[in-house]
Amino acid sequence: MIGGMVSSAAEQAVRPGGDPSRPYGLYLVCWFIGSILLAFFTVPLIALALSQSWASFAQVARMADVRAAIALSLEGALLSATLATLLGVPLAYMLARTDFVGKGIVAALIDLPLAVPHTVAGIALLMVFGRQGVVGAPLAALTGLRFWGTLAGIVVAMLFVAAPYTVNAARIGFEAVDPRLEKIARTLGLGPWRTFWRITLPLARRGVMTGVTLTYARSISEFGAVVILVYYPMTAPVMIYELFLRFGLDQAAGAAVLLLAVSLALFLALRALARSAPERDNR
Amino acid sequence: MSGARDAAIAVEALTLQLGTFRLDRIDLALGAGEILVVLGPNGAGKSVTLETIAGFHRPERGRVRIGRRDVTTLPPERRNIGFVVQNFGLFPHLTVEGNVAIARRRAAGRLDTSPPGAGDPVALLNYFGVAPLAKRLPADLSPGEKQRVALARALAGAPELFLFDEPFSALDTQTRTQLRGELKSFLRQLNIPAIFVTHDHTDALALADTMVVLRQGRVVQSGTSAAIFARPADSAIARFVGVDNILDGRLVETAGGMATVDVGNDTVLRVVPCSTAVGTAVRLAIRAEEVAIGPAVGAPDVNRLDGAVTALRELGPLTTIEIDCGFALKAYLLAPQARALRLGVGDGVTAHIAPTAIHVMVEPCEDAVRV
Repeated sequence: MIGGMVSSAAEQAVRPGGDPSRPYGLYLVCWFIGSILLAFFTVPLIALALSQSWASFAQVARMADVRAAIALSLEGALLSATLATLLGVPLAYMLARTDFVGKGIVAALIDLPLAVPHTVAGIALLMVFGRQGVVGAPLAALTGLRFWGTLAGIVVAMLFVAAPYTVNAARIGFEAVDPRLEKIARTLGLGPWRTFWRITLPLARRGVMTGVTLTYARSISEFGAVVILVYYPMTAPVMIYELFLRFGLDQAAGAAVLLLAVSLALFLALRALARSAPERDNR
Repeated sequence: MSGARDAAIAVEALTLQLGTFRLDRIDLALGAGEILVVLGPNGAGKSVTLETIAGFHRPERGRVRIGRRDVTTLPPERRNIGFVVQNFGLFPHLTVEGNVAIARRRAAGRLDTSPPGAGDPVALLNYFGVAPLAKRLPADLSPGEKQRVALARALAGAPELFLFDEPFSALDTQTRTQLRGELKSFLRQLNIPAIFVTHDHTDALALADTMVVLRQGRVVQSGTSAAIFARPADSAIARFVGVDNILDGRLVETAGGMATVDVGNDTVLRVVPCSTAVGTAVRLAIRAEEVAIGPAVGAPDVNRLDGAVTALRELGPLTTIEIDCGFALKAYLLAPQARALRLGVGDGVTAHIAPTAIHVMVEPCEDAVRV
């Protein structure tokens, strides 16, 4: 795929009669440099995938605790992405459609989790949602909802580090919706709420879906915050870490390949779903 | 223009501050089925005016009345307005049918002449001849089809007023001309009043029953399009409506049913007298098409200007000619006429302007002029 794109760009560069205004030399150099990065992304993952024989892969896939860990990761990420959507989309809409005092601060707050080391995020969350935490303790006493050693804790950790992606991508999605379309909807008799559901949200769908996809992917892959807040039950990254510590690279790699396969398949499926959203009318 | 009292649509003294922009006491009135064109340069406040009428800005003062209803404080969805914007603003994620079906017909909707099937998407699409396109997405439509769908959609909401915000501004001249004609005939059939905003004076000429010129948030002239084109209130409006020749002069005499304006260089032009006092500085607006070009012999003595050709530009059927006769004067020649005269740059030529074709303007013009 990568090689193919490079060679087709090279063919274009030397093909006689190409558009003389296009800087093919520049394109060629950019592709060359870009392919280093692409290779850097893909080669380790391919090497990992190829390191496992099918038999050992199948063996790992049959291990109950590995499967449970992956299922837990998927479940936590699903809840995290759902919560991020419910909590993040309204904020994204306000940021895209209104101006208010402190908007820059709000935008910075949203990016804050991206700048905090995830282990630090885990410790901070522990202080709030932990056994003695300001939220964790009363919530446990009142409702029995505990964030230590539970799926709820995993979701909280995932949400903290991954929700910014939903807000930022959805905001871009909302900003791309032409406000005049919303105005037209209003003149057609649709109230503000109906206009939001029928026009704005569907047109911003692509941005929202991109955000949800990124949040989901980021949630599955989260290790640092999760491991501090909730070690057991183990999510897949935590389990892989433990396998690595206890049994070494080979054992860990088997589970790693399985997680890679599952998360990659889901990521591609979600991405395809996001892509299928209608494009804006070319104006 | 209809009086505001008995008008179908009346906008009265609409005043609004929007950032640094101010809309200042805008008055508009439309009779039933009338097309009002709001003409003005970019930044004049045309779109803000429309959006305020539609209910997207709250005016500080003034009223918007549709039929007998004062809608000034109503939200857009309760005003019964059909809104058409640049490129027609179809919802890109909905099919043609979906675009029309999304409109909610309002109980308050009242139409003297109900258009065929208002409120019924299928009937509306049939009426505009776009039923075969029902399942298509807007991206797959031609500009003409988009316009028809946009009109069908606007009608589905049973509007009592159409607002058009430069719907043609992204189109090429040919398509624009075609869609303009089509729009006008639809609006005539529907008999729903429309306010059409544009910065293009050809749009204004083609569509307007009445017209207002907007500048810096104020109405600077209103009247019929013919009146505004023939008698612009000031030189800026004159330029805007396509007057090519604007001369500075001074009114020197009023006598015998004629006024005389000294335009410098020992040249005087006779004009139809106006109420301006002798000695006043004036500006003369002379449309290029009113300047007759001919050979020196046989030309009338009044407003006869001898000069030399400084430029000739062939534009297909027309040739524009520029003459230096003490001041620069632009005129048109039809192709056969240009061939017969066989003029070249530097040739002597005589121009003649009928006194009735010269419009006298007094500047600075402080208040809006009503024609």
